[in-house]
Amino acid sequence: MNTLKLRTTRTLAFFCVTTFILASCDSDKNEIDTEYPVIDISAANAFPIQCSQVTRGQKITFRAKFTDNTQLGSYSLDIHHNFDHHTHSTEVNNCISDPIKKPVNPMLYINSVTIPTGQKNYEATQEIAIPADVDPGDYHFMIRLTDKEGWQTIKGLSIKVL
Amino acid sequence: MHKNKSNRLRTFCLLLFCLAIVTKVSAQMVRISGSIFSNGLKPLEGAIVTLHPSNKITTTDKAGHFLFNQIPTDSKSITVRYSGYLLHEVKLPLNKNAIVFPAIVLTPEIKELQEVIIKDSYEARRKKEESLTIETVNSSFIQRNLGGSLMQSLQRIPGVKTISIGSGGSKPLIRGLSFNQVIVVENGIKHEGQQWGADHGLEIDQYAVNRVEIIKGPSSFIYGSDAIGGAVNIKPIPLPAKNVLGGSVDLTGKSNNEQFGGSVNLFGRTEKWFFDSRLTAMDYGDYRVPTDTVHVYNYAVPLYKNHLRNTAGRELDWHISTGYSTEKLKSVVYVSNIYSKSGFFANAHGLEPRNVDTALHDKSSRDILMPFQEVTHIKISNTTSFRLGSHQLKTQLGFQKNFRREYSHYVNHGYMPPVYPAAMYAPQDLERQYDKEVFSVAIKDEFSIRNHQFTVGVNGEQQQNKISGWSFLIPAFKQVNAGLFVYDKMQINDLWLLHGAVRMDYGRIEMQQYTDWFPSEITENDQTSAEYLQRSSALTRTFGSFNWSAGVNYNPGKWSFKANLGTSFRMPIAKELASNGVNYHYFRFEKGDPNLGAERSYQLDLGMDWKSNKWSVQLSPFFNYFPNYIYLNPTSQHDIYYGAGNQVFEYEQSKVMRYGAELQMRYQFTPQVSGEILAEYLYSEQLSGSKKGYTLPFSPPASVLFGLNYTPEIKNLKDTYFSLDYRYNAAQNQIVPPEKKTASSNVFNLAFGTKVIAGQQDFILSMQVQNLFNTKYLNHTSFYRLIELPEASRNIILSLKIPFLMHK
Repeated sequence: MNTLKLRTTRTLAFFCVTTFILASCDSDKNEIDTEYPVIDISAANAFPIQCSQVTRGQKITFRAKFTDNTQLGSYSLDIHHNFDHHTHSTEVNNCISDPIKKPVNPMLYINSVTIPTGQKNYEATQEIAIPADVDPGDYHFMIRLTDKEGWQTIKGLSIKVL
Repeated sequence: MHKNKSNRLRTFCLLLFCLAIVTKVSAQMVRISGSIFSNGLKPLEGAIVTLHPSNKITTTDKAGHFLFNQIPTDSKSITVRYSGYLLHEVKLPLNKNAIVFPAIVLTPEIKELQEVIIKDSYEARRKKEESLTIETVNSSFIQRNLGGSLMQSLQRIPGVKTISIGSGGSKPLIRGLSFNQVIVVENGIKHEGQQWGADHGLEIDQYAVNRVEIIKGPSSFIYGSDAIGGAVNIKPIPLPAKNVLGGSVDLTGKSNNEQFGGSVNLFGRTEKWFFDSRLTAMDYGDYRVPTDTVHVYNYAVPLYKNHLRNTAGRELDWHISTGYSTEKLKSVVYVSNIYSKSGFFANAHGLEPRNVDTALHDKSSRDILMPFQEVTHIKISNTTSFRLGSHQLKTQLGFQKNFRREYSHYVNHGYMPPVYPAAMYAPQDLERQYDKEVFSVAIKDEFSIRNHQFTVGVNGEQQQNKISGWSFLIPAFKQVNAGLFVYDKMQINDLWLLHGAVRMDYGRIEMQQYTDWFPSEITENDQTSAEYLQRSSALTRTFGSFNWSAGVNYNPGKWSFKANLGTSFRMPIAKELASNGVNYHYFRFEKGDPNLGAERSYQLDLGMDWKSNKWSVQLSPFFNYFPNYIYLNPTSQHDIYYGAGNQVFEYEQSKVMRYGAELQMRYQFTPQVSGEILAEYLYSEQLSGSKKGYTLPFSPPASVLFGLNYTPEIKNLKDTYFSLDYRYNAAQNQIVPPEKKTASSNVFNLAFGTKVIAGQQDFILSMQVQNLFNTKYLNHTSFYRLIELPEASRNIILSLKIPFLMHK
């Protein structure tokens, strides 16, 4: 009886220990990339930045610095109206917005660029023409950056079209 | 890295090896016989008599007579089960070679009582007779652990998690698999909603659930496609006792989301005819989280008074079942309607994180504004079982309609016009509509040949899916499935049980083409033209599959061991084959692959159980391999047309390996105090494809729950309990884009319950304090995890159940 009890206790202890070992191996790391790429618009020539203003009929040049720990993927730029104040920005400071209005011919710009393979750092530049006939007002400028593995960082800026 | 991995595998193999430990029991034989009678002293034919602890089973003949020849000497008792009667247990006298019992008279059951009695015997017996890993819980477990939805109430079971959507909706996550990889069966019919959507809850009324059986592993051989990861089987409610009219009232209140709700049940039965009905209503406000700012991706969103803006909801359900029951024939018709309306967190829906009218939203915490979902699920089914010679047959016919609408402000993207056209086929705020109708039929035959217990079944299902709304994600489609299976359970002797099953399946899916309602600008050779783009083309795919499963149970004395090896499969769904649109919850563009093959899985399940007077230990490890797991892969690309610059996610197939285990330990310190440890561990890894080395999405972290339970005897009270649960969730560092690492967390839950007896009337009272210390923590498998939303703040749940009998 006693030996049976002892054996049982031992078996139980064994299972507890194994389970504990099992449960504690989860900190194991495969060498996989778990880092997000970075959008840097702090440089002096970066454009646009929060609250930038652009003029209709002119060309602007988008400039930003992208970095990633392994390899950059692609980026997309998206300019759409914010006349209804539906969206806000990722930045800390807010810009002064115009009153809410209905869109008539709002500007819409969507473009995507695949970053050449093997890049950890990339200076992105992109010329964008602001058509002369679009509605002026508050717009939203979105930058979406991915790395090769599919990690994505978003930056949303508020700009004004004059 | 490889060293680490092989270490872990070695540990795992070691663990499996331990299951080979075997104990021997010597066995001399005696015989037992007796007769079973109803309380009207009529002999009961077909009563199930089980011998314990060997679990040998026999049934009574026409005269109510049973006989066990040659039983093991360690036999301690027999139990008698008969539908409509309480479980009856008789202890066996010691040291006799032949036992003839006097007449055993069964007591009719009253529904409420039955649950408590079922708990110990039924659950234990099922576990010993199935080679798959099964957990069974009843409605008192649900009342004790009541969460916002059925699956949330079941989360305490190791290996069972949920993907929760706010406070009122959730879907099952069994060992890390969910969506269309886990099926839910209610009253024998496969529940068909829009399981593919992470934001879609399960349309089940948890008050109407009496008993749930959870199969933690592939069960395609019983249920067909989709049961590749497991099954949640909600059993039909037991029939009321004869000549009884009764019911119950449930009332529930929750502090966190100021929920109040309840359910009224009324049932009755004459000799042969019976009915059961239920009405459930619930209303809740925005739920609260222990934070004042949420970071939706990089957008900071302030919360008003910790309320998660626009997560209020309501639910209204009704059920009626009626039927006829004799010893030879039982036929039941079930009709139910589940309606729910609930809001989505307003700042995290659309093409990008949104600014909302906070003045409008924060005015009331109970209103449901845009965006919100509204779902109606209707079920009509009939289950008829009867005896034909030595065959026990069961037929099931079912019809379901799942009607889901998701409302959101119109946001033009791609080349959609900035102002919504007046003459559109869908209202301006109807973002998406899914309308699914399913007809299903199944026939099952159970019979025994010598020590083989066979189950043969065929089932067929036909579904139609229509879509509407101004946005597009998946096309309309029709689907047909049919399956045929044979299952043999073979009792070798008192200790050994073998299982074998084969199944053949056929499935066909016909997807319709979908063309945009607006023209897009296409530039070719510097020529720009406007065209109505086709998002998805007409496509028909057929799939066939052959699956098998083999298992063994070995139940020596206090131990029981089980092993099961089998294959499972899943047909790709319309979303995986043909989606081509924006998922507004995750700000991403999802693309299907029309060439995907059917998913296949191989799984080894093991189980070890040990029970003594004070201890009980259960360990259930598993190993699983998918040669072609269907996975939604985040690419580095963006879609600049319809996707408005959002990141593209594409369906792909990759090799996947998964393994893990659950451990349950209970110890009875004194007759009043018991403790338990419930632990779970899961590891998944993609072995090929573009995310080789990564895990699968929604992988639950390892966790341990320590529970302490005190059941004092108090005068005028019955079944009193106090319990404290402490759950430790390990950090989840194994992630795949776009997930984030989740830190470890410590959560405490407190529960109390009792039955107050006042005269003839019982009041069953239960109280819970969830998240006792108002801890701010993240749940890795929550729908809102990606936007860094902490789990709900402290929540006090009070519920009262008042059973009543009007006529007996």
